[in-house]
Amino acid sequence: MDIIPQLLVNSLIAGSIYAIAGSGLSMTYGLLRILNFAHGHFMMVGAYFFYLTSVEQGLNYPAAGAFTALAMLVVAVLSLKIFIMPFRRYSTMLPFVTTLALSAILEALVSIVFGVNVKSLGSGLGMTSYEFLGVFITPIQLIIIVSSLVLMTVLAFVVHATSVGRYIRALAENSYAAESLSISQMKVSFWIFTIASLFAAFAGILAGFETNMQPTMGNAYTIKAFAAMILGGLGNIWGTIAGGYILGLLENLSIGLDFWGYSLPAGYKDAFAFVIIVVVLLFKPQGLFNRASRQA
Amino acid sequence: MDYIIHLLILICIYLILAQSFNLIFGLGGLFNLAHVAVYAIGAYTTAILATEYNFGFYACLIFSALLAGLLALMIGEISLRLSHDYFAIGSLAFSAVVSALLINWKSLTRGVLGIPGIPRPELFNLDFNNIRNFLWLAALVALFSQAALYVIFRSSYARSLRAQAEFELAALALNRDTRLIKVFSFFIASCFAGVAGSLFAYYLNYIDPSSFSLGEMVSILTIVVVGRPGSFAGVMISTLILTAVLPEGLRFMKIDASILGPMRQMLHAVILFIVVYWNRARLFPVERVV
Repeated sequence: MDIIPQLLVNSLIAGSIYAIAGSGLSMTYGLLRILNFAHGHFMMVGAYFFYLTSVEQGLNYPAAGAFTALAMLVVAVLSLKIFIMPFRRYSTMLPFVTTLALSAILEALVSIVFGVNVKSLGSGLGMTSYEFLGVFITPIQLIIIVSSLVLMTVLAFVVHATSVGRYIRALAENSYAAESLSISQMKVSFWIFTIASLFAAFAGILAGFETNMQPTMGNAYTIKAFAAMILGGLGNIWGTIAGGYILGLLENLSIGLDFWGYSLPAGYKDAFAFVIIVVVLLFKPQGLFNRASRQA
Repeated sequence: MDYIIHLLILICIYLILAQSFNLIFGLGGLFNLAHVAVYAIGAYTTAILATEYNFGFYACLIFSALLAGLLALMIGEISLRLSHDYFAIGSLAFSAVVSALLINWKSLTRGVLGIPGIPRPELFNLDFNNIRNFLWLAALVALFSQAALYVIFRSSYARSLRAQAEFELAALALNRDTRLIKVFSFFIASCFAGVAGSLFAYYLNYIDPSSFSLGEMVSILTIVVVGRPGSFAGVMISTLILTAVLPEGLRFMKIDASILGPMRQMLHAVILFIVVYWNRARLFPVERVV
């Protein structure tokens, strides 16, 4: 079975994107206790901003990336101020409804501006794939794997070795106690939401390079990020990252291997994430890695 | 004139769909994102039974309702054990499973090509290919569904459902089996969504997965939120306004046909947001923590 190494690499590539996307979602849930149904749409919007600047305007990648980051900053701040913050204190149901509305608005806006057709970021990075020990990998795929590892390392450093990270962990564990120690939940939440949105945009750009982009891609990625988060436990950042890689692995194994002479058609790859959510919710709803949380 | 009849038929279908969602979401407080998926199951059941097996109107309607209801029981069993956050994700995942099946199970659903040539029903020696006659049928089904749902909305069962949404512990203390209550609301509402799907398939003669997207879910949610969740009359009125008046307005503005769909979706979402913003203090009962 020499298909296995290639499958593992493919899993790592898919898993990297899910891990970046999922970690942002999980940070948001951990701090704000809201499920952002527009998270996958942030990915989509990020990818389209990058498309606008790099393909349509012909900027080079660093400039396009900087523009995308700035634009996402605006999107994130507006989303937080308009769609989330006014509703948080009334009911946990309200942010579900408003972020769902936000996702529909973003999808419709992108459809109107760019059209509903499939777009591609192309591969200015070269289509030639390297062969390494019988495994084929393209430069962009290498970038995906490495950059996700770098991002995770930076995140780990910020969360575990800085004072901001200490605030984040304190707020996630017990927001009442943390606020009584004069940690501003508003301020930290604002930063976390912005970072999560930037992560989402980055994941969206990577996904745009690796496959292609469409205004409707947001939903599928929202659900995949949710799947990663459900696997790892709601609000558990490291669990979610692990969940992202596990999701990538399971997806690729499900269509790559044949089970007793029967293999799933590739079209079902996406459906697999959804089945995982249902199964995990059924048997281990607290996630694979979650510890019992402290309640006030 | 035909256009007005078309709108009236759409109103009939959306009345059933929105009012049944109102039962789950408005009274039960359950953020069920799988309602459109269940509606899709109703539509596909009718489409497949009517084209492949030549089933009649009543059989299709009943099978659509029952299959939709049974599947809802399945989701209900799984996801109603979960708390609000998890329930929303679980129902979203379920709706995604359904749309993945609709696209990929090509031998049954023909994938993105959709199922064409669904024959209009043959009943009472009337020609239902005449859109005017079909309106009577749709109105009859809608009227019956609304009457049945109205009875449910006025019953003691509805009060129990509302009670568990506002304060589950209190409902439990009053010896209400809250889980049974929730699962039953799921079953009933989904049966009606199946009926709406069946009508939709009969009316359009052609269905494909794109009619059952999350955007459709946002539209239904908008109708219920605008009409005020839990209010029977309110949802009826908002269905009339949002399905009939709004598309007319868009037509009046002479918007390019290619962006009409996204434009409608955005308008719905913006209305949803504005109404939620205005009513944010009273839209949902604040969960009481004991």
